[in-house]
Amino acid sequence: MVGVVIVSHSLKAAEGIKEIAQQMGRDVPVAAVGGTADGQIGTDPLAIKEAIEGVMGSDGVLLLVDLGSAVLNTQLAVEMLEDEGQDQVVLSNAPILEGAVVAVVESAMGHNLEQVKKAAEEAIHMEKLL
Amino acid sequence: MVETTLKIKNKSGLHLRPAAEFVKKANEFQANITLERGGKVVNGKSIIHVQALGVRQGMTINLRAVGVDAEDAVAALSELVNNKFGEE
Repeated sequence: MVGVVIVSHSLKAAEGIKEIAQQMGRDVPVAAVGGTADGQIGTDPLAIKEAIEGVMGSDGVLLLVDLGSAVLNTQLAVEMLEDEGQDQVVLSNAPILEGAVVAVVESAMGHNLEQVKKAAEEAIHMEKLL
Repeated sequence: MVETTLKIKNKSGLHLRPAAEFVKKANEFQANITLERGGKVVNGKSIIHVQALGVRQGMTINLRAVGVDAEDAVAALSELVNNKFGEE
């Protein structure tokens, strides 16, 4: 199964999103990471790298981020991975919460990294009120 | 096309977890699967669509499937809904 990493400026936000997303598939590896090394609002590339490694399996990992520096530090974290790991990690443009929910459902269905990424990014166009 | 009308009996309706169960089951079939409620039709294989339908307890939905395994798909999904997704 494709792993999912949720990167937010707030660890609480990341953990909350993880909690919701895991309702959709208990077996999918999901990691929540957020906050700076000294516990402030922000992101920490080293912590993100460790979170990626924690859920890395043979099917790869989808990365979901909130805003701004979370994107930059996640890209930095990917660069810090071993070369073979970098090929199996994809940063998603999906909205963090909706994308996480979709990604976990898709991963639980056994879809591959490309399929999971595509489905999560369709959440950009999600209508909350039909 | 195979079609059936289902009444949602589980307490929380097609909220996140049941919607996910529905979508996972729907994806086991080749058939094109749609759900309809109040004139709104959505793709039954998409979690984004199914949960957005806002189906609550007591509502009825139309389930339609088109394709080689449409009958099996409708039977399996009906069973899931009628068994309240294993909930109350």
